[in-house]
Amino acid sequence: MDWSSVFNAGTLMNTFNTATIVILAGLGCLMTEQAGMMNIGIDGMMTVGAFVAAVASWAFNSWVIGLLCAVLAGLLTGLFYGVMVVRYHSDEFIIGVAFNIFAVALTTFLLRTVLSQSGSFHPASGTVQNLPYLSFGKIGGSDINISLMVPLSWLLVVIAQVFIYKTPAGFWLHASGEHPESLRSVGRNPEKMKYIGSVICGVLCGLSGAYLSIGYLSTFTEGMSAERGYVAVACVIFGRSNPVRVFLAALLFGFIDAAGMRMQGVIPPTLTATFPYVGTILMMVLLALRNQAKKRGKRV
Amino acid sequence: MKKLIVLVLALAMSLSIFSVQADTTTKTPSICIVVAGTLGDRSFYDSANEGIEKLAADFGTETNVIECKEDGSLYENALFEAAERYDIIAAVGWQFFDALADENGVLAAYPDKKFLFIDNALDAIPANLMCITYAQNEGSFLAGYVAASLSKTGAVGVVGGENAATINDFIVGYEAGAKYINPNAVVKRQYANTYEDPAKGKECALALYNDGCDVVFAVAGKTGEGVFEAAKEADKLAVGVDGDQKYIDPDRIICSMVKRVGQSIYDVVANPDTFFKGGEVWNADMETGYIDVVYGTEDMPQQVSDALKDEVETIKAKIISGDIIVPTAFATEE
Repeated sequence: MDWSSVFNAGTLMNTFNTATIVILAGLGCLMTEQAGMMNIGIDGMMTVGAFVAAVASWAFNSWVIGLLCAVLAGLLTGLFYGVMVVRYHSDEFIIGVAFNIFAVALTTFLLRTVLSQSGSFHPASGTVQNLPYLSFGKIGGSDINISLMVPLSWLLVVIAQVFIYKTPAGFWLHASGEHPESLRSVGRNPEKMKYIGSVICGVLCGLSGAYLSIGYLSTFTEGMSAERGYVAVACVIFGRSNPVRVFLAALLFGFIDAAGMRMQGVIPPTLTATFPYVGTILMMVLLALRNQAKKRGKRV
Repeated sequence: MKKLIVLVLALAMSLSIFSVQADTTTKTPSICIVVAGTLGDRSFYDSANEGIEKLAADFGTETNVIECKEDGSLYENALFEAAERYDIIAAVGWQFFDALADENGVLAAYPDKKFLFIDNALDAIPANLMCITYAQNEGSFLAGYVAASLSKTGAVGVVGGENAATINDFIVGYEAGAKYINPNAVVKRQYANTYEDPAKGKECALALYNDGCDVVFAVAGKTGEGVFEAAKEADKLAVGVDGDQKYIDPDRIICSMVKRVGQSIYDVVANPDTFFKGGEVWNADMETGYIDVVYGTEDMPQQVSDALKDEVETIKAKIISGDIIVPTAFATEE
């Protein structure tokens, strides 16, 4: 087998480009996770973000407005999640699942009734404006083009890491999930922190969706997140809500996917398609083993 | 006087009933297409949809579309739903095999309705079913020929929806066509394992371009949209499928291998006497014009030279006459 066709600059580019979707969604998910809410509704938040970004980018003929509208839509979806979970104490898991189904149905409905398009968004006139690409010339025979969102997502990882571990607000966010009473005892409102967590989550998922529809592609298709949100949730669990670890987990996922796809010549394609999911299970087993080892260590 | 008015009104009403009935008898039978995926692929499913839209426009036929969104659990229910309300039911997608092969399924439950199975055939076909298959290997042969002719690297790629006989039928034809013009041509394939995820299609195509291919054939429905996005990003060439897709990116889509699914459905419904043959398989091939290679409209930039187009026509004639036997991914029955 020719390993150079599996591991090359293109594989790395593919990893970075596709992992960005998961990185942004994962960063969002960990914000709610920090505040003690398991948000599996991020897949739906991404779908809404992708739809709004594509339509706004087309309607206003500007990727900036597309991105801003996706952020705004994310803010609303995050607020919706917060209101449901914090205010009305609904089961966060059920709200998440319901939101995922609702988001696909809502975007499909709007696409078909308001925009009169079925399946995918291809306006008859005008174009969906894409996020700008940064070009870095040729490395190893392949063009290195990176969407603006890729370095931006890395910057956001650093900001999230600093926010959670170095700022008081980060500690409050964590405390609102871990021990709300102690937060209340110092005069802080845990509900408010939970709201902030869900809104940041919504915004980041909106960005992730926008990257998918107007960054990586230039269209919206029904259900286009294709369960990538769940992969992000797995990364958050594996990375134990630490932004840098979640980032690395997302890159690992992207790499397994990209390398697996390039091994189709020797391994049946139906099997290579399972690689990311087999990877998830292996990661979870690893995590469980590590946690157990830690517990034993403490006991001794 | 009152009685007379009542009489006239009653007469008018009963006449109006006749006139409505007269209307319905002239209409073609109603049709419902049940697609395995979703519309909006600008390819296979949209072609089927264009066929029934044309029926509605030409004959006022009552039409409907049920989309199964690649959810296998919906296939059988969707067929029952369609059979309940429409005269002709077209199952669009080879994936309906199991749902239709079910002995106690929809075919047995509605013996008086007409069913079409698009893109695949059952082993034993009941009298109320007609299977339409397409000689996609013949059209793909031409697509492979054109792709390998324009390739500078001698390597061409193909992104398939999944590793299944119908998709592989495209691929073996494409490969044979590429090798026909250039025996040293390398044909690389990637399977996306989905027809509904353009992002996955883009990854697959970028992997192929990255691996030295400079023309990639998209055989993956909506996933194929990602192939064209990849062609744009890598500034390489692509080949469209099922519909004439050149308009999507005239600068990079060199040609499209068309499979006139909509036209075949149209013909069956518009002329049921000549076209509908229950219990049979109709292989719509290149000879009858349901399979072809097209180059968009004249005002679009043409990458394929007129000389090459003439060569393609010559090969087309050879395939039709049987001088060239295109290999197929289906087990051939003698």
